[in-house]
Amino acid sequence: MSAGEKASKSKVKAPKQKTNWKIYIKRYWQLYALLLLPMVYLLIFKYIPMKYILIAFKKYSIVKKVGEMPWANNHGMQYFIQAFSNNDFKNALRNTVVLNVLDLLIGFPIPIIFALILNELPFKKFKKTVQTIAYMPHFLSWVIIYGLAIQLFTPTNGLINMFIQRLGGESVPFLNDPVKWVGTYIFLGVWQSFGWNSIVYLAAIAGISPELYEAASVDGANRFEKMWHITLPGIRGTIVTLLVMALGNILGSNFDRPFALQNNLVMKYAEVISTFVYKHGIKGLQFSLTTAVGLFQSVVGVFFLLFANWLARRLGERGIW
Amino acid sequence: MKKKVLSVLLASTMVMSMAACGEQTTEAPATDTPATDTTTVAEPADDTTAEPAEVSELTDGKFAETRHITVEVYDRGNDGGSDPTNNMYTEYIKKGMLEDHNVEVEFVAVPRWTEVDEINNLLAAGTAPDICVTYSYPTIQTYASMGGVLDLQSYVTDYKSELTNLWNWLGETNIYWDQDINDGTLWAIEGKRANPRRILTFVRQDWLDALNMKAPTNKAEFYDMICAFRDNADTLLGKDAKKMVPFSVSYDVGWRAALLIESEIDPAITDKEFYVNGFDDRKLTENGTKEAIRTLNKWYNEGLLWKDFALYGSGDATEDDMMKAGYVGAFQHNWDYPFRNGDDSIQANLKRLVGDNAKYVAVDCFENKAGQTLKFGITEAGDRKIFFPSTNDEPLASMLYLDWISDPDHIEYLQKGDEGVTHNVLPDGAIEIIAAEGDAIMNSGQNIDMTITCNGLHFKDDALTSLSMAHSYASVDPADVETAIKLAMTNPRFEKNVKVAPITAEEGMGEALSSKRDEVYDTSVVAPADSFDATWDAAMNDYLSAGGQAIIDERTSAWEAVYGSSTSLE
Repeated sequence: MSAGEKASKSKVKAPKQKTNWKIYIKRYWQLYALLLLPMVYLLIFKYIPMKYILIAFKKYSIVKKVGEMPWANNHGMQYFIQAFSNNDFKNALRNTVVLNVLDLLIGFPIPIIFALILNELPFKKFKKTVQTIAYMPHFLSWVIIYGLAIQLFTPTNGLINMFIQRLGGESVPFLNDPVKWVGTYIFLGVWQSFGWNSIVYLAAIAGISPELYEAASVDGANRFEKMWHITLPGIRGTIVTLLVMALGNILGSNFDRPFALQNNLVMKYAEVISTFVYKHGIKGLQFSLTTAVGLFQSVVGVFFLLFANWLARRLGERGIW
Repeated sequence: MKKKVLSVLLASTMVMSMAACGEQTTEAPATDTPATDTTTVAEPADDTTAEPAEVSELTDGKFAETRHITVEVYDRGNDGGSDPTNNMYTEYIKKGMLEDHNVEVEFVAVPRWTEVDEINNLLAAGTAPDICVTYSYPTIQTYASMGGVLDLQSYVTDYKSELTNLWNWLGETNIYWDQDINDGTLWAIEGKRANPRRILTFVRQDWLDALNMKAPTNKAEFYDMICAFRDNADTLLGKDAKKMVPFSVSYDVGWRAALLIESEIDPAITDKEFYVNGFDDRKLTENGTKEAIRTLNKWYNEGLLWKDFALYGSGDATEDDMMKAGYVGAFQHNWDYPFRNGDDSIQANLKRLVGDNAKYVAVDCFENKAGQTLKFGITEAGDRKIFFPSTNDEPLASMLYLDWISDPDHIEYLQKGDEGVTHNVLPDGAIEIIAAEGDAIMNSGQNIDMTITCNGLHFKDDALTSLSMAHSYASVDPADVETAIKLAMTNPRFEKNVKVAPITAEEGMGEALSSKRDEVYDTSVVAPADSFDATWDAAMNDYLSAGGQAIIDERTSAWEAVYGSSTSLE
């Protein structure tokens, strides 16, 4: 495939290329100059700040520079030990993994299915309208979505529960019961993002050559067979790339979604690493402890990413590098 | 050709922007250094020997050159309030400070309901105002131990002659309340509660009348009353019957049911036990709290509480709106809560939306085992704490600000404003606060956000103060306020100042533990009645192991280190 081709090409060219890079730079210097800008951005905002990882191994002080802060106890590992003996952290770790895995299991296939269905729609205008409506929630902030959820799901005043009660049912604690809350959390996440996430798949589908479909029609394939044998394999590369990235994020969590949606009654399932870090780090000023937690999170994330990428390559796909 | 010109242009803009980036990054460390510098500047100021020379920089209390300080002011986000950093009162202060001390004052707004978060962010970023106010001492303590707070000890003593108003108003008690017993450091001084009243129970008088009931005088009657509200919802609310909440609490159960919780505390509790468990201002670990929450749990399961209470966070107005709309039968809150905010007060809204006779009245009915309706936490200190972050390079000017704001004349003006605009003078001389407009609106009752060293009404003449207090709530019947004034000070239990070493286990745990405490309360209240014990015990164990027990242990040994085996302060 294309990856294989490229690899073999570069292998053949490799001995010559050593001297060729100067020619390339000369020929495309404008492009390289343009590339410098994002590189500088990455360097300044992503790489230089990494020196503050040291805070995880030191006793943080607001008035000292990183280098001047004293080392933490236990050879600098004090805060890692503290984190792993903290029940709240273990809870947050478990919740992060569980919520992210559920998000992945439920939230990952839905945009693909949606893109496939949308692709089968013959009316262009209808298709565009549906697509626009579906990705609109992506632009709502989580605070607003929580406001909507409150209006819809609260036990006494929520629209849906009022409806259920009118029909003679008991109101459902969508937001107050920990297990039901997890359902609401996943549902809202899917609702917010499936339209947006399907855009990439729609773009990939648009890139599949129409000749394949025509040939399949001539061979007598029906719609479903075309979907299964042409569309899905056609976007497999995209799916795998996005899956690898999603797996790399399995320990990461965005902050606003759990923070906006959680409440005191569901905290045992709703506290995730990002909100734990916020509570103990920013509110509680335990910067060393939370830097340690953040570092742990990132390192595990890197391992997941490497693993997923390796898996993708084993499955014959390109992976992300 | 065109392409080439374009690319040269593009490349050069990029180089320019990169150069700009480069400048910024080199600047960043440069701004870093002053932050660290200020602490080194502050250190010589800590040196008491250097002080006398500095006192002389004032002539007649004025600096030779204009100084600039920033002062925190709460932003309460009131509907239609005035700009907290720029209104009639801030102008008055700015003008006065410039005239009296040649100090320019700039106000920095901090949202009242998330003040601890906000002040944390500002401190961590090194951009906190020169004069900070907070209700949370642990926050100050944490930053102090990192070297982020100025030691006020030398300022209050060395400049004592310049700070007569401050000393007269706060006195030794409030100034030295938080002083470290070991090394004498003083990280904060306590603002004074001119009015130490704290919390009360309010019930709907018109509902009592409609049901031919008398105001409750004990817990049993209170329970009967809220049951009667629930059972007669159709009569009382008609088509809105389903929206009835007989007794309302918020997510902050420990505060909004405080009188119930405190009524379960053993009346014979020793000073030591009270202190050891006193780290949680919602009394989670006190000896009777579980029983109080069991009662609430029963009420919840009997449909007497608001089912959605835990879903609305701090500062959310939904519950207030329900009170204003007339759905709430009873609640506990600050002793003047329904009277606050003039035309937008709960009381005024109730009258407008429900009817002329609709109103909340204060009742006093949560008696303890000894039959007393004790009011805990009555103290002139323990309220707002004022501190200077180490980024404050104008400590003297800041102290002068505190002195200026403690001048009885200034307090009086800030609290009553101008005649005809914010107050009327009644025939008996009492000051009646009226609803003001625009710039003259006070965002907080009695303008307490402006008078940071004084919380509560305080005129120069004590007699006038008490006469005026009932009239200090615009759009509210003074008789209702008078009842609340009286009941909130019935059976007061005065707080004592326990002077022991700082408790290190409390550092950094304040927020984590208080949100955990709310979890304990909330989950226990909504638990099914038969699993209440299990829920409470599990949540409580979690709370204690997350740091609560460590604090209790350290407080116990800190007490014993100072007071020995005595369990009483006297």
